[in-house]
Amino acid sequence: MRRVLKYAVGAAGLALLLGACASDDDGDNGTTSDNGAASDLSVGLAFDIGGRGDRSFNDAAAAGLERARDELGVDFQELSPNPDGSNRGELLRELADAGREPIFGIGYAFIEDMDTAAGEYPDVQFIRIDGIPSDHDNVAVMTFADHEGSFLMGVAAALKTESGQVGIIGGNEGAVINAFAAGFKQGVEAVDPSIEIADQRLAAGEDASGFRDAAGARVAAEAMYDRGIDVIYTPAGDSNVGTFQAAADAGKWAIGTDSDQYETVGDPELQEVILTSMLKRVDVAVFDSIAAFADGEDIVSHAYDLSDDGVGYTTSGGFIDDIVDELDDYKQRIVDGEIEVSPTE
Amino acid sequence: MDNADQDVTVEDDEPAVVQLTGITKRFPGVVANRDVHLDARRGEVHAVVGENGAGKSTLMKILYGMYQPDEGTITVDGELVRFHTPKDAIDLGIGMVHQHFMLADNLTVLENIVLGAEPRRGIRLDYAAARRQIRELSDRYGLGLHPDRLVEELSVAARQRVEIAKVLFRGARVLILDEPTAVLVPQEVDALFSNLVQLRTAGLSVIFISHKLDEVLQVADRITVIRRGSTVATVEPGTTTSRQLAELMVGSELPTPQTAESTVTDHVELAVTDVTITSDDGPDLLRDISFDVRRGEIVGFAGVEGNGQSELVEAIMGLRSLDAGRVVLGADDVTQWSAHRRRVSGVGFIPEDRHRQALLLDAPLWENRLLGWHSQEPAGGRFWINPKSARAEAAQIMTDYDVRAPGPETLAAALSGGNQQKFVIGREMSTQLRVLVAAHPTRGIDVGAQAAVWDRLREARAAGLATVLISADLDELLGLSDTLYVLFGGRIVAKLDPADVTPEILGSYMTGATPAEAGPADDPGELA
Amino acid sequence: MTRLLGWWRRMAPTLVALGVALVITALFILIIGENPLRALAALFDFGETSVAQANSIGVWINRAAPLFLAGLAVSIGFRMGLFNIGVEGQYRIATVVAAGVGAALVLPAPLHVLVIVVAAMAAGAVYAAIPAVLKVTRGVSEVISTIMLNSIAIALAAWMVRVPFVDPDLGPGENVATRRIAESGQFPGLNELFGVIGLEEPRRPVHGFVVVAIVVGIVMAIVLSRSRFGFELRATGLNPFAATANGISSKAMIIKAMLVSGALAGLVGLPDLLGSAHRFQADSFVSGYGFTGIAVALLGRNKPVGIALAALLFAFLDRAGPSLQSEGIPPAAVIIMQGIVVLSVLVVDEVARRGMLRREERRARAQDPATVTEEVAR
Repeated sequence: MRRVLKYAVGAAGLALLLGACASDDDGDNGTTSDNGAASDLSVGLAFDIGGRGDRSFNDAAAAGLERARDELGVDFQELSPNPDGSNRGELLRELADAGREPIFGIGYAFIEDMDTAAGEYPDVQFIRIDGIPSDHDNVAVMTFADHEGSFLMGVAAALKTESGQVGIIGGNEGAVINAFAAGFKQGVEAVDPSIEIADQRLAAGEDASGFRDAAGARVAAEAMYDRGIDVIYTPAGDSNVGTFQAAADAGKWAIGTDSDQYETVGDPELQEVILTSMLKRVDVAVFDSIAAFADGEDIVSHAYDLSDDGVGYTTSGGFIDDIVDELDDYKQRIVDGEIEVSPTE
Repeated sequence: MDNADQDVTVEDDEPAVVQLTGITKRFPGVVANRDVHLDARRGEVHAVVGENGAGKSTLMKILYGMYQPDEGTITVDGELVRFHTPKDAIDLGIGMVHQHFMLADNLTVLENIVLGAEPRRGIRLDYAAARRQIRELSDRYGLGLHPDRLVEELSVAARQRVEIAKVLFRGARVLILDEPTAVLVPQEVDALFSNLVQLRTAGLSVIFISHKLDEVLQVADRITVIRRGSTVATVEPGTTTSRQLAELMVGSELPTPQTAESTVTDHVELAVTDVTITSDDGPDLLRDISFDVRRGEIVGFAGVEGNGQSELVEAIMGLRSLDAGRVVLGADDVTQWSAHRRRVSGVGFIPEDRHRQALLLDAPLWENRLLGWHSQEPAGGRFWINPKSARAEAAQIMTDYDVRAPGPETLAAALSGGNQQKFVIGREMSTQLRVLVAAHPTRGIDVGAQAAVWDRLREARAAGLATVLISADLDELLGLSDTLYVLFGGRIVAKLDPADVTPEILGSYMTGATPAEAGPADDPGELA
Repeated sequence: MTRLLGWWRRMAPTLVALGVALVITALFILIIGENPLRALAALFDFGETSVAQANSIGVWINRAAPLFLAGLAVSIGFRMGLFNIGVEGQYRIATVVAAGVGAALVLPAPLHVLVIVVAAMAAGAVYAAIPAVLKVTRGVSEVISTIMLNSIAIALAAWMVRVPFVDPDLGPGENVATRRIAESGQFPGLNELFGVIGLEEPRRPVHGFVVVAIVVGIVMAIVLSRSRFGFELRATGLNPFAATANGISSKAMIIKAMLVSGALAGLVGLPDLLGSAHRFQADSFVSGYGFTGIAVALLGRNKPVGIALAALLFAFLDRAGPSLQSEGIPPAAVIIMQGIVVLSVLVVDEVARRGMLRREERRARAQDPATVTEEVAR
């Protein structure tokens, strides 16, 4: 036992020594950037699983962050969770301890972790993208009317299908993806109730693995295209690229989510099959929040929807130019309250 | 013993193909070889005999380039050489046939032989050339190989010939055969020896490692004896008897397996009745086997390997379910009992393959002490084991059975074969046994350990143990058994009285032939 | 002195391997253009303030406990050459069942926790029994069946949260979850203990279940080294043929080992569940311990003490993830580092094992040839 103790003490000593070295050179960090403009704001942002480079949800947030840097001159630090997402809370604390504010958590998986961290750092402003409202005053929640945007995707799919069959490949069976699916189905039915809709999820329940399963998405999409489906809506994060590949092989359409995936997919061959994308202006939400915070305003929770273009569709590639009028018509009817889109089926 | 006079015969005008001079090899704390001298001439079979642990393997590993000697020299064709790896030895024409074959079962004979030395045409394997070469080798040395047969279909003897061909294929002029007869039956041994004679006639040198003295005398041109790491003599078979050779090996006179007066009682301890084990694809593995073993009796089973011995052992030990028949231990029908229940009821087991079935090689001796008896007090128990007591018992076994090892913490793998076997026997015998099933109890162990094992079996017999002895060593069977059965094709084909049967008669039964001269047990059905 | 030497001899290969792993990782960090020394410093950075340091230690403990339990569960199978890849699925099922059972009952505090623990172990064992029975009766490879059952576990767990155990009072837009376990079924945290030993109290729960994990570890260490089951497990692993020939039924051992492994796997999710989550929700459920546990068991050489050290090391590296990112080291570096550590330990270990065997052989031989003659002379 004494031996063990001795080594433990030795190890602890070493750790302290190295810790001392560590504190010598902080301050500067890899992603920091000062672009002239006057702001002493230092923003923190923790991504959802997958981190920067997912060409979808996380990258949309990153785009807002970069825009804030360029236009407002804020400094920022971003962190990605480990693959099992177990350290989301740590990321928020790391950012809080580093004096970042406001601190963003991207994705509904931050619900519990952010609320806990907000209790620990009551003076720090936290902002969550997606998820349910928080009991904490210092947590603002930015949500998106995914179902409304998805409704328009359903309209687009219904107008573009030639076989009368469309499909949806979702990341999982969680509430968020269910809202995407519900909106999409209502949109399809609004155009033509006789169109068949296939609904498949890549993971059961709330399991997040379906958002990182491009291979699974590809298999699922291939099967759908083989069955005659010619448009697939794919709210499945990183997995979307699998659907796009299957679409390219089959020469049929796919609809992206979150970002303008025509622009972000980075492969000309895949661009050709991305009919449109359900744009979720996470970048806008991030930028607006930072701008408001920089102006000293209170950050309040906000539900982005079609009326403020927080959700919408993209026209990159020009594949839906012929139906833009119809889409805008549906959009207006939703904004006007003429059509009510339900987030559940 | 003074051997200076016998060394004189070595001098000859023909230079040695390989000559080892003054070889010494030390391992920390041990001198494995000390001042060893050995030479092999062209066209001779040179036997190296010695007990296990005497340093034969170390010497051969030095000659084959696996170890480097600390002192001494090796010359090949008169040139001083230094081997760093077996590859160096192979390049100079020295090949080794290991005791444990190193063949891939699911490849053909041809593929096994050329593996690693493939004749190529461009980047393709030149099968035609390989096949031609192998046929030539086979014909020249009478190996009888079929290049395209799968190795898994071959008998043990044929596999050995494949190993020999493999070495010859690589251009060996000196073949080292490590205990080649350990796995063969008498008829196969004869065939091997005629192969060796052909190799010799063709001018090759064979270094033949063995501890079976009769064989050595029969086949060798010269014999070098190793004792305790040193070469003590090189003799010629014509001028030496088996007994003299053995005395050179052990440095004293020899024991023989001779059972004294009968201790057989009337009390049947183990009764095997009509045991049959069928096979899915082929003839029955065992058919209507019935025999009794009485207290104080050793019942021997002779037979060429693969004629049902393993299955019989498994049937008695409860390791294989029977298709028919019963096994009765004392008054209990144990046919449905688990192997464990049989063991703890007093059935000891010395399996045929020590490494595979009897020992945990990577575990210390005290854990090996527990194996099989781990539920028996005091070392074992129903729920807990007692390492302290197991260590004490292991140490006791080491003392009582003369197991040479540093202590109970030594890994079983570190022991020589003889010491491992003594430990296994000690483990089984130090419990209250009613029946002992001993399969090849002296296989691969040296003369000294062999004598100790036989003594133990005899002592236990005298104390009333009922023993089933399965062996390929006919002398052992004849010397120890009170009753002898011959297994052939899964049946008992003869019941013999060991007192008046010769190895030759036994050999005939074992190969399925009925001996010309009517033995005492011509009609097994009546006797069995 | 000799004990210290023996300890050194056993530990030396591992320390060498850790050194090798450190060097390789440093090279890797150099290649991606960052400063390895700063990365090393970030590894040992526990934060500036005493609260941050206490928090950091809390995170370390919270991460190490489930990894230790997972490693322990995997090691039971490994010891007899049984590859229970299914710890992942077993602990997921067990955690849902524990959450469901725990929420359905209200009992006096210690009893409530005990019931939850027993339910989790039972659920894990039952789920592990499936591959065991398949292997024993039909010869199905446990590797394949446990991997398949991991996928089934995800769907089964999702169904259980959704149907039998669902919280009927979920808020709008909230993902399905089980009801919260009452206070009596929550495991007290270790936070106050930090104060007692003179540290700042961490601001969030430090899972007290780590104490149970340590007790379980000690019990398993005793069981493995002193019990008949432990011996049979070891014997079967070392030489299945010898074990069978000596009356240890391999089928019985497969069942027993899988049941024990599954029961231990059932504990993996409990530190989180009883310490902070108090309910099962797929979003916040931490998956992956079962797979990481395989690496932890390998690194710990299937021995409880080794597994504990390995779990601490893995948790230590995981904990450093955010501070490494602050230094510009991508989060994947932690996983790479863990992989390198496991690989180098395995390689160095094998080399050391061979060396040790050779040394033993020499010692045994030293006893042998010198006395051969006397024996026969007798």
